[in-house]
Amino acid sequence: MTEYSPFSLHGKHILVAGASSGIGWAICKSIVAAGGKVTGVARRADLLQKMVQELGEGNAFFIEADLATDNGIEKVAAMMPDVNGLVYAAGVSKMLPLKFIKRESLEELMNINYFSMVLLLAQMVRQKKIKRNAHSSIVLISSVAQQIGTKSSILYTGSKGAMSSASKAIANELSSQKIRVNTIEPGMVQTAMASEMEDVISAEAVEKDKAKYPLGYGMPDDVANTAVFLLSDASKWMTGRSLTLDGGRYVLLD
Amino acid sequence: MDKNHFLQSFAEQFDDTDPSTITLETHFKEMEEWSSMVALMIIAMVDEQYSKKITGADLREANTIEQLFERVSSK
Repeated sequence: MTEYSPFSLHGKHILVAGASSGIGWAICKSIVAAGGKVTGVARRADLLQKMVQELGEGNAFFIEADLATDNGIEKVAAMMPDVNGLVYAAGVSKMLPLKFIKRESLEELMNINYFSMVLLLAQMVRQKKIKRNAHSSIVLISSVAQQIGTKSSILYTGSKGAMSSASKAIANELSSQKIRVNTIEPGMVQTAMASEMEDVISAEAVEKDKAKYPLGYGMPDDVANTAVFLLSDASKWMTGRSLTLDGGRYVLLD
Repeated sequence: MDKNHFLQSFAEQFDDTDPSTITLETHFKEMEEWSSMVALMIIAMVDEQYSKKITGADLREANTIEQLFERVSSK
């Protein structure tokens, strides 16, 4: 007989928004590895199909939807069965110095990084799709960027700051239903999004930055395993909080 | 693409350098005011004004402003 582990996701079904790449994809894998079921949401059906093939039909499901639109959000909320948890990992990044920022780029980042997160949660809660009084958990992938102030990161930093701040209010609202809400604020994680940034700045600048991380840059799994902890009953007394994952970058200073 | 317009737009990204001292032959990375922040502004300026994407590698491989202009023009 297997002993119950509070770290297990056995019997839990989790919705992952932004499932087709980087951190979201790693979270889908970790959820299934921890015994849970996952429904991944993203725009690219081909990548989502690959995810289902790799994780196994019966363990993984997908919904093709553009979360940047109201239609996409409504589609997800309508199609989803009741879930025990939700991870919002959809997001984009763009480096732009202040004087080049225009409403269009500001709205583009705020839309997917913040507005869609709030609107998806609003629809899921309104339709009672997140199980109440059942240790349900919402995990938002924010960024350590919102604690610091990297040059040219205004668009990204502002959107993640909004996410992290709002998470506390959402946690407060949902606490009566015993639905927990926490954020993860990672530093640099090696993903395609990070490689794009390397293209914009330079490989040398990235190497210099990497050297400032006592434990090096993070891997998507590092964030995914923390997400599993926050989704599991092991963290059932934790809500309205944030976990910073930065390999010691912003605390272990020489 | 007009070379002189490019030069003017390039020079506008600097706050403390007299624009008249910046020419097409200037080795821009040797300028006192050159920094990673100015590099990001040049990338953003090229995107905004010419709808072309340049990267840190383009800035690394060009020495003079004219060489950078040629790289941008060829994209």
